[in-house]
Amino acid sequence: MGDPAVTGARAPGAGRRGPRRNGPGGRRGGRGWLFLLPAVAVYLAFTVYPAVSTLQFAFLEWDGVAPPAWAGFDNFVRVAAEPVLGRAVLNALVLIVFFTVLPILLGLLMTALLAGGVRRGTAFYRVVFFLPQVLPLVVVGTTWRWMYSEDGMVNQALGLVGLDHLTRAWLGDEGFALAALGAVGTWIMSGLCMMLFMSGAQRVDPALHEAAAIDGAGPARRFLSVTLPALRREMSIAGVITTIAALASFDLVFVTTNGGPAGATDVPGLLVYRLAFNEGDIGAAGALAVVLTVLVVVFVGGIRLLAREDA
Amino acid sequence: MPITRRRWHPAASAAAGAAVLVLTGSCAVLSTSVREDDVPDTVSTAITGEPVTLRLAYTDDPPTQALVDGFTRRHPNVTVDLERTQFSDYVKTVKLAMSSDDPPDIAQYNTGAMNSLVPAGLILNLDKHAAAYGWEDKFPSSATDPLRTDQDAERFGSGSLYAVPGSLSVLGVFYNKDILADAGVEEPPRTLGAFEDALERVHAEGTTPVGNGALEVGGFQIWNALLNVTGDEQDYRDWVYGAPGATIETGAAEESAATLTRWVESGYLSEGANATSDIDAQADFAAGGSAFLITGNWAAAPLAEEMGEDVGFFLMPGPEGTVPVASGSSVAYAVSSQSEHPDVAAAFLDYLGSPEAARIQAESGFMPVDPEAAEGQGGVMGEINAGFARVIEEEGLVPFPDYATPGMLDQLTPGVQGLVAGVTTEEEFLRTLQEEWEGDHG
Repeated sequence: MGDPAVTGARAPGAGRRGPRRNGPGGRRGGRGWLFLLPAVAVYLAFTVYPAVSTLQFAFLEWDGVAPPAWAGFDNFVRVAAEPVLGRAVLNALVLIVFFTVLPILLGLLMTALLAGGVRRGTAFYRVVFFLPQVLPLVVVGTTWRWMYSEDGMVNQALGLVGLDHLTRAWLGDEGFALAALGAVGTWIMSGLCMMLFMSGAQRVDPALHEAAAIDGAGPARRFLSVTLPALRREMSIAGVITTIAALASFDLVFVTTNGGPAGATDVPGLLVYRLAFNEGDIGAAGALAVVLTVLVVVFVGGIRLLAREDA
Repeated sequence: MPITRRRWHPAASAAAGAAVLVLTGSCAVLSTSVREDDVPDTVSTAITGEPVTLRLAYTDDPPTQALVDGFTRRHPNVTVDLERTQFSDYVKTVKLAMSSDDPPDIAQYNTGAMNSLVPAGLILNLDKHAAAYGWEDKFPSSATDPLRTDQDAERFGSGSLYAVPGSLSVLGVFYNKDILADAGVEEPPRTLGAFEDALERVHAEGTTPVGNGALEVGGFQIWNALLNVTGDEQDYRDWVYGAPGATIETGAAEESAATLTRWVESGYLSEGANATSDIDAQADFAAGGSAFLITGNWAAAPLAEEMGEDVGFFLMPGPEGTVPVASGSSVAYAVSSQSEHPDVAAAFLDYLGSPEAARIQAESGFMPVDPEAAEGQGGVMGEINAGFARVIEEEGLVPFPDYATPGMLDQLTPGVQGLVAGVTTEEEFLRTLQEEWEGDHG
């Protein structure tokens, strides 16, 4: 959201033009920007404009129909006082474990298993692990709701191996609903992490692996010492994408538990939706969306900082 | 880096320029119009013979399409263009559509949307049409009261009329006749005590007594149905309509919540209720998974189709026997104050109260505005109509509790989930409802 302002401020200072700019190259550059125009227009209309509008709404008292009034920081004060907000943010942080930490670990494991040379069936497993990423979340959510139900597949499987005492309506259980929801996230995100890591692992010069092998390193040692360090960039990207998915999660929660039971799976995105569309409180919804954005930026910034390569 | 910076420049200027445009553009929102006039100057019950086209935005079908067809058969010069939206998106789209420069002439009524549209003067005040047509005699007052409000849409249940019902719904108990017979329950229970006794007998047989979708509205509708037959009707109405000083923290409301908790503790509710949607609970009941299902008559048509003669219906019984009080709502229609043909739109509303429309409403599985039109129906439809006719006769149709404020649904569903999960006490549940109410009406 801050981007246009930042770049706008930078513009006057960035006016130094290299000699090549004044020649035909400059004109070519101008034409180049012309080609960018459709993409820029779409980006402005569907990303920048809604973001700026949201920021504006955050300072209004508005129900979506009647003339809005200026509210200053009132909406932020009200949102901060919202009793369910604390729990929702906490839930979103718990989801990071399931959406980010576990998928990265599982993705690394799958990469270790699949990337070690050409094996039969690699392509098959790659497709199978990546499939959840392709399915619409609404479909995924509905399917998992049935699988988690009282006599759904999860409980049937537990019953088959004699663990009947563990069976429960997973999404209806106060203590397990969030973890059950998180497990769906792990299932979805692991394939994405694997795909990113596989492409990174393939970039590694085979000579490095050979050299390590000659030095007596086994497959595990080679993965830890050769492949893993090469995946730093991919892990950073995977971390960013999945953390955003965790903090801004909405659709999966909306179709499976809608925040229930009794708020055990409330997430900030759900509260934004309720404020805006159920209660018609556009101002408070905007304020909460801004807070959520700041939270995402802080986390993403932290991950980028941690994964920065010293170059 | 220098290359990047050189290339940055035009993009930055473009972005900055666009951002300025965007900012000025989105400020348009700050200058929307003042309140529109929603009272018509003149009113006529005779409509033009010239060709007229109306636009109608709605979400519920049946009955909308059939009612519109009936109306246009009677007035061949009128064409109605239907614009349907899925229920989950309807509140949003109807708000935007009715406040746009070119709103539909007629829109299906929705409390959430009207809370914003009525104060903005965008919905036609129907008082003059009601007087001209004599709607007070055509439509039961307990069905039109929820469609009345003051100009600020803060207090409902009285004030000016803003919509007219096209068909009605009512909350009650469906039961599986086979399961009840197997459990030795000879006839549908007539008192609350007999009902609980039936629950215990079914439970003893190893069958789930009450199927429930507490993931959505099913949970609080049990509490709602119990409160209808134990609490004071007027106290409840005052609370839903936003009368000053009203409260839900009453003994009856607490007792109803306690009854629900007791049912949960006794194992009367399906175990996974908190994770079950309403449609899944309904499907499970239809397949014989539970003995009772507490929901509205909107489920009647699909249940009758699946279960045939095996399904029956009764109103939630009170401690002393039948109490003709039940929550219900209507598929109602409002007129845009910006419509060019308000009299034609009003003629459609008037048609909804005609015997012909009542027949269409009954055929499409709803309760007709005039209960007499559904007489003679057999099966579960006949049983619903018998109960419903009494409720209408005694003016006992009361709104659902989520009508109290736009955000009430988001308190009712998690609140009852807390009761079902055993993490919320009855007092806490009612306090959160009252806090939400105070935030809106206090």
